[in-house]
Amino acid sequence: MRLHAVLALAACLAPAAAIFEDDAYHIDFHHALIGHPKRDATFFQKPYAGSKASLLYTVSHNQTIGAVNPKDGALVWRQAFPAAAHGRGTLRAGEDQDTVVSAVGDRITAWSASDGRIVWENTVHGAIMEDLEILEQEDGITNTEAKDSIVLLAEKSQGVKRLDGKTGRVKWSYQDTSGDTPFQVSTSPTAIYYISLHTPMLGGYTKLRVTSLSPITGKQLDQYTLNSELQSPEDILFAGANTAAPLLAWTDKSNKILKVNIIGSKGVSSFNAPTKDAVESIILHAPNRVNSLAHFLVEYHTASGHAAEVYHVDVNKNSVSKAYSLPELAGPGTFTTSTSDANVYFTRVTTDEIIVVSSVSHGVLGRWAIKGSPALAGSYPVHGVSEVVVKAGTASAVRSAVLFANGQWALIRNGELAWTRPEFLANVASAAWAELPEQEALAHELEVEGHQNVLAAYVHRVKRHIKDLEHLPAWLQRMPARIFNSVLGKSQDSGIDDIQRDTFGFHKLVVVATEQGRLAALDVGAKGKILWNIALSQFAPDTTFSNPSLKAFRGYVEVKDPGFEGSLFVNSTTGGLLSSQDIKLQPAFIEGTQKFITFDLIDDELKGYSGLETGPQPVWTFTPPKGERILSYAARPLNDPVASIGKVLGDRSVLYKYLNPNLILVTTVLDSARTASVYLLDSASGQLLYATSHDHVDTTRPMPATISENWFSYSFTVDSKSSSVSRGYELVVGDLFESSLPDDRGPLGAISNSSTVQPSAAQGDAAKPYVISQTYNIPAEISHMTVTQTRQGITTRELLVTVPSSNSIIGIPRMVIDPRRPVGRDPTAQEALEGLSRYSPVIPFDPKWYLNHKYEVMGIKEVITSESGVESTSLVVAYGLDIFGTRVTPSLAFDVLGKGFNKLQMLLTVAALFVGVLFVAPLVSHTDAFQVLTRTVAYITQVRRKRINSLWTI
Amino acid sequence: MKTILSSLALLVPLTSAARFTLHIPNTPVANPSTLPPTTHATLQSSGEPYTALLTRSNVFSFTNITAGSYLATIHCRDLAFEPLRIDVTIEEPVEGSSERREVIRTWQTFLGNEWDNKGEDRGSGGNGLVVDVRPIGPKYYFQERGGFSPLSFLKNPMILMALFSMVLIFGMPYLMENMDPETKAEFEEMQKKSPIAGAATNPAQSIQNFDMASWLAGKSEQSASSSRGHSPAPQGKKQRN
Repeated sequence: MRLHAVLALAACLAPAAAIFEDDAYHIDFHHALIGHPKRDATFFQKPYAGSKASLLYTVSHNQTIGAVNPKDGALVWRQAFPAAAHGRGTLRAGEDQDTVVSAVGDRITAWSASDGRIVWENTVHGAIMEDLEILEQEDGITNTEAKDSIVLLAEKSQGVKRLDGKTGRVKWSYQDTSGDTPFQVSTSPTAIYYISLHTPMLGGYTKLRVTSLSPITGKQLDQYTLNSELQSPEDILFAGANTAAPLLAWTDKSNKILKVNIIGSKGVSSFNAPTKDAVESIILHAPNRVNSLAHFLVEYHTASGHAAEVYHVDVNKNSVSKAYSLPELAGPGTFTTSTSDANVYFTRVTTDEIIVVSSVSHGVLGRWAIKGSPALAGSYPVHGVSEVVVKAGTASAVRSAVLFANGQWALIRNGELAWTRPEFLANVASAAWAELPEQEALAHELEVEGHQNVLAAYVHRVKRHIKDLEHLPAWLQRMPARIFNSVLGKSQDSGIDDIQRDTFGFHKLVVVATEQGRLAALDVGAKGKILWNIALSQFAPDTTFSNPSLKAFRGYVEVKDPGFEGSLFVNSTTGGLLSSQDIKLQPAFIEGTQKFITFDLIDDELKGYSGLETGPQPVWTFTPPKGERILSYAARPLNDPVASIGKVLGDRSVLYKYLNPNLILVTTVLDSARTASVYLLDSASGQLLYATSHDHVDTTRPMPATISENWFSYSFTVDSKSSSVSRGYELVVGDLFESSLPDDRGPLGAISNSSTVQPSAAQGDAAKPYVISQTYNIPAEISHMTVTQTRQGITTRELLVTVPSSNSIIGIPRMVIDPRRPVGRDPTAQEALEGLSRYSPVIPFDPKWYLNHKYEVMGIKEVITSESGVESTSLVVAYGLDIFGTRVTPSLAFDVLGKGFNKLQMLLTVAALFVGVLFVAPLVSHTDAFQVLTRTVAYITQVRRKRINSLWTI
Repeated sequence: MKTILSSLALLVPLTSAARFTLHIPNTPVANPSTLPPTTHATLQSSGEPYTALLTRSNVFSFTNITAGSYLATIHCRDLAFEPLRIDVTIEEPVEGSSERREVIRTWQTFLGNEWDNKGEDRGSGGNGLVVDVRPIGPKYYFQERGGFSPLSFLKNPMILMALFSMVLIFGMPYLMENMDPETKAEFEEMQKKSPIAGAATNPAQSIQNFDMASWLAGKSEQSASSSRGHSPAPQGKKQRN
């Protein structure tokens, strides 16, 4: 008991752990992601006219706009839209402009190109931005001021609008009421072309209709329907290019014939595909500059390789002619277009080389071999953008930002890989913890030993130890360097590159599955290093994985997806597929008479089933009171160790914790009455243990909840419509105890052998907990909450909340939200001893609680925690759009020497003491010194003996 | 956002479209031009809050705000701002006139207090109102590590005690030498009575031989000798004496 008191005291006195500045950026990592960059909306652009360096701008598949520094791949700025934004999402920039303009969802926004600040925004409610172009020239004169934007809207208020480049105000709009499907807009120096898909009323093929508009007034100048019989809109290859001769290109279903029309003319030129093999896809690349040559390149992909042809447009004759063709190369590849003055260059990026050609002739201007890299191994380029420097007829330098098929966005500078960004990690749908390969191997060996007889196990163990000796020379070799580094206070980062078994257990794998159907493993202790990365579709070729969910087992993860029947088993250390025969289904942790209860949310009711599978006959059903809608449920973590079964109060009495492992917290809302309710259930019996409800709740906002040990917490937004007293967001924390009285075990007290840990063994009804709860006002909305986990549960827990408005994850110390804080009075001496402070209704989020400090972690869906090798530390990973990982020490790092422990200083102190001894030695004679020593030792033994005696007598 | 807007439009019969901006002034506390582009302001009332990002001219501009009472919060990585209460109402500027206009009123507000408990008035007006927001101060995310400094080293009571005893040990003989003979004799007399008895010839030795345990136990030198058999230490002393 005394030990508990000491521990409780220590935990209370421990100050809230914050991040030290020298630990930040070392113990944590952050993958600030954009997502897969879009093909037509990625470009190099100078952030302002006259800037020396250009930045790489893109809008991604999830409508995130980002600017990346092409030198090192660092994110310069980023803006993410709310999840509901749909539509195509386009990004454009005018020449020599200091803004980039995006059209996402129903808004068109101009961003300051250098810092990502908003310049203006225009929202058209109910509309979807279909396409966007910048009006470069007006009547052949380049506008040097802010260039206007031409935007095409679909759905409500379908038509074309011209927006002022400075303010975003609409200059004119053209309404299209024909019922055509809007497709794209294109600008030329003299007119604006609005291209739509016209489907005749009486059936028949869809045709392209071109409407030309006056750039100044927006009045319709001309309209015609092209002789184009399209089977589907996907057959349209290209529309636009801000050149003197904008193009329209489409193909037939079998990709055999390419048809090209110069917008503004009615003639259609046809070209046959150059290869005999079936063409899988055709991509057209044309320069996007007004004053560049009207040349374009058509890329043909077959199953075995890719080829391209270059065409020239004769603007005067309005004709298109083939200039030359580039040879077919085996394997996949892509082309990019870049311009320099009027010249147009095409860069061919394949898996092993980069070739630059001019659009004028087929002569190779430059060729670089791509040096292989593990990040790009086994992958191929999908699309990219390039910048080419051409001097005296040869390309002296080229840099290409290329998206690879494995989701890495890479910049290749003259054949060298400058950087890669793991954009495939964006939008993680599910994540799970896994052990490191070494730990897994050891666990396996130990398991083998456990199943053998004593002698065989001993032999196996000796063999294993002998085998371990082979690591000894390497270990000895590394030792001097390690000691040297450790003494000089150099970080342990050196161990990051090679994962070795680390003593602290900070290296743990987290396996993530993304919405794009990729599976990857990251080492949390090594700054989120990606160990492997695979596409799930390679295991199930016909399936598109949209929302995979993961479950971790020892050595493998189970992947499930709504679009896939059954489950995939993937080795968590290699990413290889395991067949179900390989896996000995876990000898589940059932012991003897224990039974499994599975529960799930089915048809707005929570149902519990006996056994591992949900069946037709539920054992219990929880139906919320009439009209209430279940938002979510939270259960205690599977592995939730509790160090102490009671809470020691200041007067040394004990409040016994209500420790039921089968607790579930169900949150429900009643939309009509704007109330929220919370129900605490026992998942074994389905019995209701506690219920409470709150008025004035905004039921449209999230209501996160979590439960751990003997406490739960949830948060909600206060609704303004009801005349509630205060406003903002509230956090409720409740503690469960066996009884309201200290040193009392409530109804369990009478039973000689009882435990809330195993309520099934308890007689009669399950005992109901005594709940103390307190509500706090918090400054921002919480979208998700969870609790830290440690090995033994001795360390105090910390409530981790995700605050989307400030892009952060905050660890609220348990002490601050203790429901036993005295209300309306100062704590008594005994309460102060427990660490309780006076209740204050507001909990301001102290910046020192922010786990992410200066990082801005966007789009976080969930936070998962895991124990580490040491008791003080819990590992935390947050995922969603970004991935963020760190480790937290809620009661400070009491079992690890941190960076604050200066080993050099310690050595110096020892040396100084030694010098001091040498200096003092002559003061006492030799024999005297010896006597002093013996006498001191004798004295100490005497005192100690006395103390021991006194202890025994007491 | 659009569904929220339309639903609000249904609920509030007089749909207004108030428009106002919050401006971050350039203060000694912070230069707003250096704030990150994710800095934004939210107006929370019911349902999804209105959001406005910080523009190039250091303002948050809100447009199409329906009538209601809003909690305005500014979310910034580098600076903390005080929250505001912003009420948008539709009123008749002159009694009896049929013309109705949006009126925006702003106050300081306090979290955890009653909503009607308004603070200082922060300005009011019609459409296009500009309200200055006040930064409270920069956010410090990191904890300072207690570094080594000689001053804090000297402040340590253990070190102070050690230094004091050092001064005594090294300074006493010097003091004794400089004492006038009368005081010296008096001092020696006093020393003889003290428990660290006798050996003026070798003070160091007498200090070493001092039996701390028996002295603490309140025993005199003589009576202590009777109990010496119990402990090895005084035995050694006896032999030497």
